[in-house]
Amino acid sequence: MPVSAIKAVAKPQNGVGAFILPCKSMTFHYCNWWGSSRGMNAFLKSSLPAFAKRNPQIQITVSPRPRHHPEIIANYINGAQESICVKNLQNEGVREKAELLRSHTGEKNRKWDGRPVRSLNESVRGIWSPFHGSKVKI
Amino acid sequence: MKRIPISRCASQLLAPSPLPRRPLCPYAAAKHARRSIVPHSHRVQARFQSTVAVPDEGDLELEMAAHSGPASTSHSRSEPLPLESLPSPHPSAAERSTRLHALRSRLSLPTRFPLQALARTLVHPSADANPAFNNASLSILGRQLLGYYMTEWLLCTYPRLPMDVIFAAIEAYIGPKALATVASEWGIEAAEEPGGEIDSGLLQFKRIRTGDDLPAALRRQAPWKWNVTTTHKIMTTDEFGSEDAPPSPHALEKTPVPSEEAAQAFVRALIGALHVHLGSPLVKRFFRDHFLSRHLDISTLFDFRTPTRDLSHLCAREGFESPVARLISETGRLSRHPVFIVGVYSGRDKLGEGAGSSLDEARVRAAAAALKAWYLYKPAEVTVPSSMEGALDTSTWRPNYVDCGEVIV
Repeated sequence: MPVSAIKAVAKPQNGVGAFILPCKSMTFHYCNWWGSSRGMNAFLKSSLPAFAKRNPQIQITVSPRPRHHPEIIANYINGAQESICVKNLQNEGVREKAELLRSHTGEKNRKWDGRPVRSLNESVRGIWSPFHGSKVKI
Repeated sequence: MKRIPISRCASQLLAPSPLPRRPLCPYAAAKHARRSIVPHSHRVQARFQSTVAVPDEGDLELEMAAHSGPASTSHSRSEPLPLESLPSPHPSAAERSTRLHALRSRLSLPTRFPLQALARTLVHPSADANPAFNNASLSILGRQLLGYYMTEWLLCTYPRLPMDVIFAAIEAYIGPKALATVASEWGIEAAEEPGGEIDSGLLQFKRIRTGDDLPAALRRQAPWKWNVTTTHKIMTTDEFGSEDAPPSPHALEKTPVPSEEAAQAFVRALIGALHVHLGSPLVKRFFRDHFLSRHLDISTLFDFRTPTRDLSHLCAREGFESPVARLISETGRLSRHPVFIVGVYSGRDKLGEGAGSSLDEARVRAAAAALKAWYLYKPAEVTVPSSMEGALDTSTWRPNYVDCGEVIV
C-alpha cells in the first residue's frame, strides 16, 4: 500500500465542547460532640442544601465521624483525592473551603517548564526560519 | 467502518416529520399507557425495548417478588427475596442512587431522560445475562450510531482521505481506547463484583482475573479468508477496518471481560439509550460536544512509504505537470548540521516544501507535504447527511464533494 496509517487516540479538551466538572464527589464529616465541628454543623444545616442544588453534578455524602475534627473530602475525575480539615471554622469559612475543593481540578500544583503558553496547537506563525521573510541586519 | 443500509439509519426510531407530538421516549409512552399496572413493573416494561427474545419469565417473576415488599399485596410469597439473589440492581433502585443523579447532571442530560435507562446502560452482559436488563441491545444501536455520525463527518469534512487514514481517524475518535477514556473522563466507577445489592450508579461487569486469558469471543481470530480487501473491511467488519467482525455483546454473557470492554459498551449503550429516549437531534449534539470536540491532528496519521512516487502518480492522474524537486535554499552544506529546503514544483506551482539534513530527506519531506496538502483538502462549507433527517426545509443542503479516491500505485 502506498500509504498506511498510524494509530492514535484523540486528546480530550474539556470545555471545548462539553464541560465536565473535575470534582466528582464530596464527603462532609462532622461530629456532634466536639466544639471544632460547630461551624461545620451550621454549614450542614443552613448552606449545604443550597450548595448541593447549585452543584447537581457532585455526589454529596454527609457522614458522622465522632470524636474527630470535621473534614471535607473531595474525589476528582483523574482519581485524585483532596481533603481539608475545617476544624474551628465558622459556617462561612467551611463554605469557602467547600467551594475551593469544588473548583479544584485534582491536578497537582507544579511549575511548567518556562514556556509562557502551552497548547495542543503549534504557533500560528510556525517556527522561525532563517531562510524565509526579510533579512535581519545585525 | 460498517455501512448502514438506508432503512436502518438513525431516523428509523423517530416519528416521520408530519407527526410532531408523538412522544419520543418509549419510557414515557409506556408510563402513560400502563397506568393501571402495579408500579414495580419497570423491569417488565423495559423488556419490550430489547431486540432479543427473553428466554424465560421465571427470572422476572423472581425479581418482581424480590421487590414487591411487605406493603404490596403479595399473597403467595410472604418473605421478600434478598437483593443478593439478583444479578444486577433492580431498576426501581435507580431513582434512589445519588451517583446516577450526579452522572445525569454531569453529562448535562435533561431530566426527562429516565434514570432507569441510565442504570441499564451501566449493566454489561457479563454481569446480567438477561437481555431485558443488560445493555447489549443498546450498545449495538449505539455502536451503529457512533460509526454513522463519525464516518459521515469525516467523509464530508475530509473528502480525499485515504481509506486507511479514515479507519485510523475513526478509531482515534470512537475506538475502544478512546471510548474507555471517555468513560473515565465522565467519572464512571466500576463495581468490584456485580450484584443486586450494590449502587446502580456503578459500572457492573464480571472482572477478568489477573493472569487469565481473554475470553474466546474477544481473542484475535484468523480472518475468514486471507486476502482481506479494503472493500471487505468496509462492508463486512467493524468500523475500524479490522479483519474480523466485532464480537456480538450477546456473546459475552457470563464471561469475565476486561474493564475496557465494559467501559466502551457503556458509552455505546448510552448513545443508544439517548437515541431511543431523547431522539436523534440531541444525540447529534451530544456527539458533537463529547466526541468531535476532541483534538486529533489528522496530518500526523499518515505513514507514507514512497511519497515521491505517489506524488508523481497523483500528478499524472490529475493531469498536472510531473513534479520536479528544486532546492530553495541551503545552509552549511560542508558542516556537521546542513539544512536544505527543497520545494516540489509542478510547472510553476509549488506543491510542497520540506526541510531536511540531506537533499534526499528534504525532497521526500517535500513530497510528503505535497501529498498531505492534497489529501487533507477541506471544503469550506459542509452539511452532513444526518443534518437533513426529518427536516422540512432542505434548502440549506449542499451536496458534498466526492473524490475519486487515493492514489493507487
